[in-house]
Amino acid sequence: MKVDIERQIQQSAEETAGKIRDLLAARKVFAVNLISSPGSGKTTLIESAIEALRGKKRVSVVEGDIETDIDAARIRKHGVQVHQINTRSSCHVPPFLLLSALDHIDLDATDLLFVENVGNLVCPAEVPLGEDLRVVALSVAEGDEKPLKYPLVFKTSDILVITKTDLLPYVKFDPGRVKAAARAVNPRVEIFEVSAVTGSGISSFLERIEELCGRKTG
Amino acid sequence: MHELGIARDILDIAVAEAEKHGGCRITRVDLEVGVLRGVVPENLAFLFGHVAMGTIAEGARLAIEEQPARVACEACGPVEARGFTIACPACGSPAVKVEGGDALRILSIDIDDSLPAREA
Repeated sequence: MKVDIERQIQQSAEETAGKIRDLLAARKVFAVNLISSPGSGKTTLIESAIEALRGKKRVSVVEGDIETDIDAARIRKHGVQVHQINTRSSCHVPPFLLLSALDHIDLDATDLLFVENVGNLVCPAEVPLGEDLRVVALSVAEGDEKPLKYPLVFKTSDILVITKTDLLPYVKFDPGRVKAAARAVNPRVEIFEVSAVTGSGISSFLERIEELCGRKTG
Repeated sequence: MHELGIARDILDIAVAEAEKHGGCRITRVDLEVGVLRGVVPENLAFLFGHVAMGTIAEGARLAIEEQPARVACEACGPVEARGFTIACPACGSPAVKVEGGDALRILSIDIDDSLPAREA
């Protein structure tokens, strides 16, 4: 006997992401889901944003890592609200952990929320967090074929930030090739090239974040 | 990715549904999986077989219907694609918009009501 079911699997992740989206909308918080491989410079980008936007946007941060609160300790030194999630066995920040982490952040005192996902180009791409903006970072040391090898994260991101461009003289990385690869999977992706060491490109990236944030938070 | 979690969810839904019908043995589960989900059907089938062991779904066949990506091409109209490419598979134009291909749905289950319900 055939029994029709017609039911969405894993609805709960999407439902929880919807709750996060509603909460952030009610509190006028603009949320950025920041994804990259381990070591591409996500935390450094957030530190740059905190300093550059000081006095303009109230930044809060949720840090996602398998273990430790090393990143939260780094962020805390900048004097902003931060909460660390330890995902233990999970290779991404699941929406239910983000939702409970938001209990620890004063959203009424936040304009711009960075969620630093677990370092991973695979799984975070599949998991909605109710974010307004998805940013994927890729350092020049990782190679220029990554958008073709890990297409989903590049396809679902609004912005690609190419980091550590100060290392370009020392690595085999063709920025033109990575941009073409990223646009092949996502023609609407906006691309920025930055170096936290020299400061190159950081301000144009953060001006764009500020502009997008301002559209939601005023 | 995450086929194990998906397999567990499928099992939970299928078993709950079969229990509404007397807890008969499940022989087949039909799914629709969009290609944009990144699910590997062989992995999902293998893991489902593993998590179903010792349940009323043990040995059930997982029948996976792949939903192609659907793109809307300005020139050709709606076209199907097998993966992440954004160029129109028919005319090669980049003026396309991806409109579907991320389904992850359990469509139906087959239960064998000729067999007596198994004691849990």
